[in-house]
Amino acid sequence: MRLRALHLTNVRKFTGRRASINGIGSGITVVSEANEFGKSTFFDAIHALFFEKYGSTARPVKSLQPYAGGGVEVAAEVETEAGAFLVEKRFMTRKMARVLRLPDRTILAQDDEAERWIAGLLGPAGEGPAGLLWVRQGLLGLEPAGVREKAQLTETRRDLLSSVAGEIDAMTGGRRMDRVMRRCSDDLAEITTKTGRKSGVWKAAADEVEALEAELGALQAQLATLEGALAQRKVDEALLQRLDHPEARARRDEALRAAQAALETARAHAGLVTAARQDRDIADLQARGARQKLDDCLAAIAALATATAMEQAAKARAAEAESAAAVLKQRLDAARHDHDTARESLARARAALDTARHQADARKARDLAAQLAARITKAEAAQADRAAAAARVKASPASADWLARVEASASAVDRLEAALLAQTATLQVVYSGALRISLNGIPVAEGQPVPLDGDSVVDLPGIGQMTLRSQPKAAKGIDDLAKAKDLRDGLLAKAGAATVEAARRLAADRAEAVRQEGLSQALLETLAPDGLAALQAAWAEAALAAADAPDTDPPALADLLAAQAAADLAEDRASKALRALEADHGAAREEAVKARAAADTAAQAVTRAAAAAGPAETRDTRQADLLRDEAQARALLAKAEADLARIAADAPDLTTTEAELKRAEDAARAAAQQRAAVAERLAALSAQIRTLAGNGIEERCDDIRGQLDTARATEARLARKAAALTRLLAALEGERKASQETYFGPVQQELKPLLSILHRDAALTFDSESLLPAGLTRGQAEETLEDLSGGTREQIAILTRLAFARLFARHGRHMPIVLDDALVYSDDDRIIKMFTALTRVAQDQQILVFSCRQLAFQDLGGARPAVEISEV
Amino acid sequence: MFKFIHASDLHLGKPFGRFPEDVRVRLRQARAESVPRLAALAQETGASHILLAGDTFDQTTPAPMVIRQAMNAMRAAEHVSWVVMPGNHDHANATELWRQVLRDAPANVTVLLEPEPHVLTPEAVLLPAPPGERHPGRDLTDWFDSAATGEALRIGLAHGSVTDFDSSEEGGSSIIAVDRARRAGLAYLALGDWHGQMQIGPQTWYSGAPEADGFKHTQTPAALLVEIAGPGAAAQVTSRPMGSLAWQRVLLDLGEGDDPLAAHEAALPALARRGVTLLDMQVSGRLHALDRVALEDASRQVAPDFLWHDADFSDLATLRDATDLEAIDHQGALRAAAEALAREAADPHLPTDARETAQAALSHLFSYALEGRE
Repeated sequence: MRLRALHLTNVRKFTGRRASINGIGSGITVVSEANEFGKSTFFDAIHALFFEKYGSTARPVKSLQPYAGGGVEVAAEVETEAGAFLVEKRFMTRKMARVLRLPDRTILAQDDEAERWIAGLLGPAGEGPAGLLWVRQGLLGLEPAGVREKAQLTETRRDLLSSVAGEIDAMTGGRRMDRVMRRCSDDLAEITTKTGRKSGVWKAAADEVEALEAELGALQAQLATLEGALAQRKVDEALLQRLDHPEARARRDEALRAAQAALETARAHAGLVTAARQDRDIADLQARGARQKLDDCLAAIAALATATAMEQAAKARAAEAESAAAVLKQRLDAARHDHDTARESLARARAALDTARHQADARKARDLAAQLAARITKAEAAQADRAAAAARVKASPASADWLARVEASASAVDRLEAALLAQTATLQVVYSGALRISLNGIPVAEGQPVPLDGDSVVDLPGIGQMTLRSQPKAAKGIDDLAKAKDLRDGLLAKAGAATVEAARRLAADRAEAVRQEGLSQALLETLAPDGLAALQAAWAEAALAAADAPDTDPPALADLLAAQAAADLAEDRASKALRALEADHGAAREEAVKARAAADTAAQAVTRAAAAAGPAETRDTRQADLLRDEAQARALLAKAEADLARIAADAPDLTTTEAELKRAEDAARAAAQQRAAVAERLAALSAQIRTLAGNGIEERCDDIRGQLDTARATEARLARKAAALTRLLAALEGERKASQETYFGPVQQELKPLLSILHRDAALTFDSESLLPAGLTRGQAEETLEDLSGGTREQIAILTRLAFARLFARHGRHMPIVLDDALVYSDDDRIIKMFTALTRVAQDQQILVFSCRQLAFQDLGGARPAVEISEV
Repeated sequence: MFKFIHASDLHLGKPFGRFPEDVRVRLRQARAESVPRLAALAQETGASHILLAGDTFDQTTPAPMVIRQAMNAMRAAEHVSWVVMPGNHDHANATELWRQVLRDAPANVTVLLEPEPHVLTPEAVLLPAPPGERHPGRDLTDWFDSAATGEALRIGLAHGSVTDFDSSEEGGSSIIAVDRARRAGLAYLALGDWHGQMQIGPQTWYSGAPEADGFKHTQTPAALLVEIAGPGAAAQVTSRPMGSLAWQRVLLDLGEGDDPLAAHEAALPALARRGVTLLDMQVSGRLHALDRVALEDASRQVAPDFLWHDADFSDLATLRDATDLEAIDHQGALRAAAEALAREAADPHLPTDARETAQAALSHLFSYALEGRE
């Protein structure tokens, strides 16, 4: 089909008019008019003519109706292989559709028949194919927004590509493939997530495996515990059986009894040994006693001889010592006398010296007392002066501060008086004669200015009275002056001064008194730094010390000191000699006492030895008796020791016997304790076994083991299923993709030369669902359509339509391409290249271009029919 | 005439953990009911004794409920004397088990924990060989040869496998002398451990378990009625079916040209038995993909008929030719994907896992593709 002419009647701005485009060429036809001319109206009207039913009131149809309303008529002269036809429709009112043969205008079909004729013209897909080839203003995308229209166009593309490249179903498996893939995906989705992880029953199986493994582990642990308890119980029961075995029990009892009997025997023998030992000890004691008696007898005899000799020697030494002590006693008495004499001389020398020193100190005290008395007198005078001055100061208020305030107040009075005077008229007279005038009755002195205040009467002797009038003084100045004077006078009166001069005098007097007070205080502090009382106390002390002061001069201290030193030396010598003799005499006397005591002791020893030795006449007999007794005692001792050795040699070892008994008792006790412990452990084990066995752990273990086997098998089966389905899905997708690449081959073939005009070495990738370009590959870079610039997307949208149009044409279905201001985003350079592409396609393809860019589209060439407007 | 029932391997309390809960309950219940069924058999046949040749209990420490209920069931059968000997699962050293059994056992139950003669009747003496552990490692029946029993009938009772026949359920070493009955002068040797019923010698039998617990044995679970007329007389042994549930393993070996659906239907038990049948179908051989899909579908269809059902197609090779792939699609991506997966599944250079995954993917593809045909 090729368009040859378009006629619009009462469409939008062409209200009540007919707009026609005639002479549309077979190649490119450009309708270039200014904006708002109505190019889009033509575009929409053609669209409605071919794609909207004549009875439609859809928005695209309504939008064609002008504001004035009325029926909308759209007609197109088309040329097909069957000839030329006029296709026309009237919308909105008196709706109709017609197809007329040209040039005779024979009506071929009307209304619904006409619609069917148009549908046949457009192809088996109804309104589809042409829809691919329409590009509205600013179109960037490849698909319309409407879901229905999008589906229709997709189906159209599918039809086209199937007819060109083969049936799509044949290529891709079609709906069977879709169903198989959906079933596969659904089955896979039941057991895996989109990322291939386990889900659904597979995950449940895996979870079950995990849970069963955990449960089995816990049960196996309990089972191990149970088996351990059973094994332990078996061991314990065997042990208990051994412990309770009658032979073992009898063996333990017999061992205990034997040990006890052995111990009793050993203890009895130990008693015999003890008795023998006691006999031996007694014999030993007796032998020792006999020996002792013999030794004592012999020792007494020997001691008597020795004591007698020692007594004689001691007595001789005592006499000698007593004689030496008597000699030393005589010498000691003489030394004591000498010492007493020296001590007396020394005392006298010391007394003389002390007296002389005391007298010297009294004389010094007397001098000091005199000095202190003089200072006291001066100090008392200074104290009196200070008190008098202080009294004057205290009595006078004329302090320097007071004087300053007086002088300040007087100054203020003077200042105020001067100020008042300056404001007052004065009268000053210079007399030339003796007559004197008076003012208000007061004589006026010469040269003294007299202030005038208000009316003043001047008596002019000889002349009369003259009244002088002046302005009265300012009341404030008078008040201030009075206050100043009151202040001044008050201050003066406070100190009893009549004038400021007097005040100054009083202040000077007071200052002098202050100075006097200070001087007196300084003098007093010099004379009595610790106070007058302290000075007086020092004087009293000195006066007391001076009471013994002699009137005559005392002897020289140096002489007295020399005399004392000599006496002291003599006393020292006498003292040392005395102490030496006292020591010697003491030692001699002690020696004598000792010697005498030794002699006494020796005498006593002789007495005792004589008593011990007994009477001399029986000493030999007694000695012989004692020798015999001692021999008999020794013989008895030897016999007792022999008996003891014999009995001890036969005695069993009591310690060993006791140890054996202890061991037997311990063994019996240990057996009893062990039995109790084993019995207790057995009870616990039995309870544990009953608890564990009662839970049927072994059975549950087997049960869980079986369940685990099944769950593992299920998980493995699902894993295999997931792998198989994943592999199947991959195989299906891979093959469909490969088929689709074959499927898109013809489009790519048409598109490639067009695309290369704009982008060298570029290729478009296609989406298998929409059957439209999805991205642009340039070099190694692949970009999705959304990532491309507006201009590039616009160009691809047009080139894709050109390619599809060429496919239509190749398939014997020539369909016009209609572009409505389609290149709005492209720059000038690309527009030129697009013109080249359009021109290339237009060699066997009708292209109708509406554009407002008259200048830019001049380069496109092609037919350029004018829009003819005529009144209806 | 001495008449008794020989049974073994009741495995009371076996949990059957690999089965779903509802199936487990049925299986455990069936095992518990084997006690009264044995009692009923004894009453029916006039047997005075029921000899249990080991593994009466499945574990050494079964739940108390299992023991109590077993003892209660034996107590209820007061007309018969039960003789219970340990097996390797409930060996004599399972002290807690036997302690409780002895505590709960009624007067008509005798537990033999020691290898010593036990007088069954004045005319018959039982020689038991109770295992003291799971794997005794020696022939416990040795002592039978020299056991003094006077003139009474000598009946042996043992649990384990015989020396020339690996009859252990757990594949353990063979222990019991195959000619023990002859050597020990036994009128009958009652054996336990092997869950299928089997005669070892003229007087030596495995009774088998009265209730099956797996697919290993094909015989009907049963007990043995043994009748001995007197000294020197041969034992008359009669097998009596016992099982209430059927464990059926179906081996379906298919070849090219077989009708898999017909073969499958023919291999299944009657509808009336399916509700008490555990079916383990193992399919092997070679089938075309379409047949395989149909067979798998048929298998899924009948699965709810059974108490438990499992079908293993892993040994079934899938044949593929153009016709099979045509079922998926004549051309296009779907067909290409199928061909790619088929190549991958047959590629010997790929690891086994990858080939199996590709095979499974192809099977899924067949299933999905054929769904649309209906």
